[in-house]
Amino acid sequence: MKPLHIALIVLAAIGLATVISLYGNTTQYVSFYEAAQLSEEHPYKEYHVVCQLDKSKPLEYNAQEDANKLVFYAIDSLGNASRVIYGKPKPQDMERSEKLVLIGKHRAGDFYATDILSKCPSKYEDAPVQVGQVQ
Amino acid sequence: MKSIEFAGEWLWLGNLGHAAVILTFATALLAVFAFFQASKEGTSSYYDWGKRFFLAHSFGVLSIVAVLFFLIFFHRFEYYYVWRHSSLALPTHYMISCFWEGQEGSFLLWMFWNAAIGLALLRKQTDLKAPVMAIMAFAQVALSSMLLGIEWGSFHLGSSPFELLRVERPDFLQIPILGSIGIGNYLQVITDGNGLNPLLQNYWMVIHPPTLFFGFATAVVPFAYSVSALWKGGQNRSWIRPALIWSLVCVGILGLGIIMGGYWAYESLNFGGYWAWDPVENASLMPWLLMAAAAHMLLIAKSTGRHLFSAHLLIQLSFWLVLYATFLTRSGILGEASVHSFTDLGLSGQLLLFLLAFIGLSYWAAVQSKTLRSTIAYALVAVLVLIPLVSMAIPDSWEAHFTSIIKWAGIVLFAGTLVGFIQALLKETKEDVATEDKVSSREFWMFLGSMFLILSLVQVFFATSIPVFNKLFGFKTAVPQEADYNRVQLWLAMPIMVLMAMGHWFRFRETPLEVWVKGLLKTVGLSLSLSVLLAWALDIYNLGYLLFLFASVYLISANAWYALEKKKKSWLNHGSSVAHIGFGVLLLGVLISSVNQRIITQSAGIGLAPEMDANGQMDAKGIEFNRENAILYKDRQGQASNYGVTYMGQRKGTGFDSINEYFLLNFVDTLTGDSFQLQPKTQNNPKMGLLAEPDTRHFLSKDIFTHVSYQSSMDKPEPFAGFKQDTLRMGETFTTSSAKLALRLDSFSSYPTAEGLVVQLKMACSNIGFSESPTEAYRYVYPQFKINTASGAFESAPVESDELGLYVSIQHMKILDPNPKAENLEFVIQTGEKKPVIPYVVVKSIEFPWINSVWAGTVLMVLGFAMTIARRLKEQRELLA
Repeated sequence: MKPLHIALIVLAAIGLATVISLYGNTTQYVSFYEAAQLSEEHPYKEYHVVCQLDKSKPLEYNAQEDANKLVFYAIDSLGNASRVIYGKPKPQDMERSEKLVLIGKHRAGDFYATDILSKCPSKYEDAPVQVGQVQ
Repeated sequence: MKSIEFAGEWLWLGNLGHAAVILTFATALLAVFAFFQASKEGTSSYYDWGKRFFLAHSFGVLSIVAVLFFLIFFHRFEYYYVWRHSSLALPTHYMISCFWEGQEGSFLLWMFWNAAIGLALLRKQTDLKAPVMAIMAFAQVALSSMLLGIEWGSFHLGSSPFELLRVERPDFLQIPILGSIGIGNYLQVITDGNGLNPLLQNYWMVIHPPTLFFGFATAVVPFAYSVSALWKGGQNRSWIRPALIWSLVCVGILGLGIIMGGYWAYESLNFGGYWAWDPVENASLMPWLLMAAAAHMLLIAKSTGRHLFSAHLLIQLSFWLVLYATFLTRSGILGEASVHSFTDLGLSGQLLLFLLAFIGLSYWAAVQSKTLRSTIAYALVAVLVLIPLVSMAIPDSWEAHFTSIIKWAGIVLFAGTLVGFIQALLKETKEDVATEDKVSSREFWMFLGSMFLILSLVQVFFATSIPVFNKLFGFKTAVPQEADYNRVQLWLAMPIMVLMAMGHWFRFRETPLEVWVKGLLKTVGLSLSLSVLLAWALDIYNLGYLLFLFASVYLISANAWYALEKKKKSWLNHGSSVAHIGFGVLLLGVLISSVNQRIITQSAGIGLAPEMDANGQMDAKGIEFNRENAILYKDRQGQASNYGVTYMGQRKGTGFDSINEYFLLNFVDTLTGDSFQLQPKTQNNPKMGLLAEPDTRHFLSKDIFTHVSYQSSMDKPEPFAGFKQDTLRMGETFTTSSAKLALRLDSFSSYPTAEGLVVQLKMACSNIGFSESPTEAYRYVYPQFKINTASGAFESAPVESDELGLYVSIQHMKILDPNPKAENLEFVIQTGEKKPVIPYVVVKSIEFPWINSVWAGTVLMVLGFAMTIARRLKEQRELLA
């Protein structure tokens, strides 16, 4: 065994450990139902839920009462609904979004989101026809 | 059916552009052929032909660039690319950004740099010039095919920037209004373009993409040299010097481009920082990490003749990673994972094809001896490259049946190719794995450092590629968060920094014990004491951060000491020390500005804990929300840590900028008494919704970063009520129905318009009534109405003020006397009321201490690279002379 070989073996081990820890720490995209169950087992882990804003229920944000609290309802792709509590101001394109990815934990029947990624339908796509004045 | 004549289109320009695309593609193909023959037969006539084709190719590239610029500059919206990415209102410097906003434009930019580099290489006379140029031309074939825009059924080859709007968007010919003016005149209604993404309307977006793409383009040169050297026999050494120079250029420029992108993000995005481990950032970081490692391998190879295998492998891998990065960011596979947006042009098959073709090229060059193995290799590569071609050609309806077979065959073949390549490379470079670098040699430590760079890459690669693995294997793994990267990279950066600090104190091959021991002891001693002082000054007590602090201080001081102590032939020889110091200053800045950053608008306590449990205890199991945003009411000072912040009001931008609303925030530092203003803005973009852009005040030792999260005008307005009607003459006063507000009619003015007359009243409004006191507080409101002279129509333009909670509309005007004097006029006025709203904004402000260190470190690093490159170029000139 020469120093370089030992170094290479140690490095390979570190590399392997890095990748294993990476995949050990990542979570899956889950439904609200699964998030609720998983949060019981691993209360400190955060889960990703792909869902849609439930527009039939109220979206509550009152900046003057609490600028850091947004409460709304969302329905995931399997049809599970959940109340969502978010500790930041209302994302600006929330109502326009067609899809939301919530990152957070489930507690006592509610989903506590630390982050919301919203995907808007027309955000980067072509605008509809813009008709100008006929000269 | 009679074909429609379309009026006003400049078709000849687009045709010219198309012709130029075909010219560039064809000449690139011909150049590949000629240079290939030249390197096989060693004849100069083929080489001369190759040169001519490459010159014609470069001319073609320039023509495409010129035509596209011309189209954008003259707003030829009949072209889809121009319509899609630009608009009339754009200032010239942003028109340049339009040029590369789209995929086609960015491929064009890349091609432009590649052509320029190719021309530079043509001037060099090395024994590898023919194969190197063949590979440069091959890269141009790949890039220019991205612009071809050829379709046969479901088979797409490239996407042309010269496609017509009416072809790309046939729905534009269905606009109802065209019925009256004729479809042929459709351009008359296309009066403006879609415009440039507002987030890209930033000075840095004018210079960041060209820098980054120049960095990407330079990565092909070391690759070309490495492949050519293998092609000409694995023991060739003449490739090392030019490959080293170009790899240094690549690391320097790509690094600069990456940090510029970070600076742009810091200046115009809201996440509060310059680096978010976004997949697009990672995509350019990956080849950089590997190229940095490769450059060090080349240094070893140049000085000792060893580690040729690693040099070849890392250089080729880093170019593969450039292609992989392109695939990641351009194929739409990242979709949800990125804040960056790249529309999928349906070219992912083609991008994959390039990646595999270049991997195949590497393998092909590594197996040059005519053995059975090379035959297997050729077959393997051929089938591998065929896979994306087949999947591009099969119709969508069949795809479902074939996808999984193709996918698994592809994965197996890909793995086989990689193994075969590495085996062939080992054999070809005749790397003697048994011989050993001495522990007291510089190459030992350099090699180790490069390996740690690779470890860092491995983590970024596996984390960034999660969407790819999800797609390949049907996983549902969520995209990693910033913390997942930071947790690992923090520890991997430490050995890298320590090795960068130590390296210079060792000599190549062997170092006498007392030399390196002395060098290390004194620098470690100095850095230990410096870091203890710094840790105390910065209040850093976390073990990981302390070690990181020490490592970066050690990196800076050891290299500075070395540069000051060693006398060199030329100051340029200190380039590597300067680059290392720059990297250390950068990472030190990263540490301090991240660890010690303060969200100054954060209020005390934890928000939003869940309900109390049965014992009345807060059941907060890991739910912690920092209250990061603060509300600021207009004209009232709020407190944000040691700053008093006042929201002074807002203003609209002017001209092109008028879409933006600026919020004037006045900051007073209560510790020093200094005050400054910040103007974060929001843009109500018709296409993208409401966007907020931060504003940052830069000081030497800190930055104050602020953005608006919410504003009162976004609240749903309450309706007005308590309507009341009054008749009023000049100077008269009345009160609203609740008697909370008093209004006095002060004066009126009128001006004629084309249709008739606009009349405006000036009314004073007060909530304490009107006395004759000169100090009384009131505001003016200006309700208006219009009279159309021809029709006699009356149209009121009421005042609706949320701030006053007041609605005023002029219902009617009576002229009491034919003599049109003010006192002879009587106005019927309707008022309404609601609870007044005090305008407010919700803001988040972050203090970033010593963030300037990040930028200063970058500048130093680039300077260091420039010095090293200059030195190596000088060396090469001396060698040739």
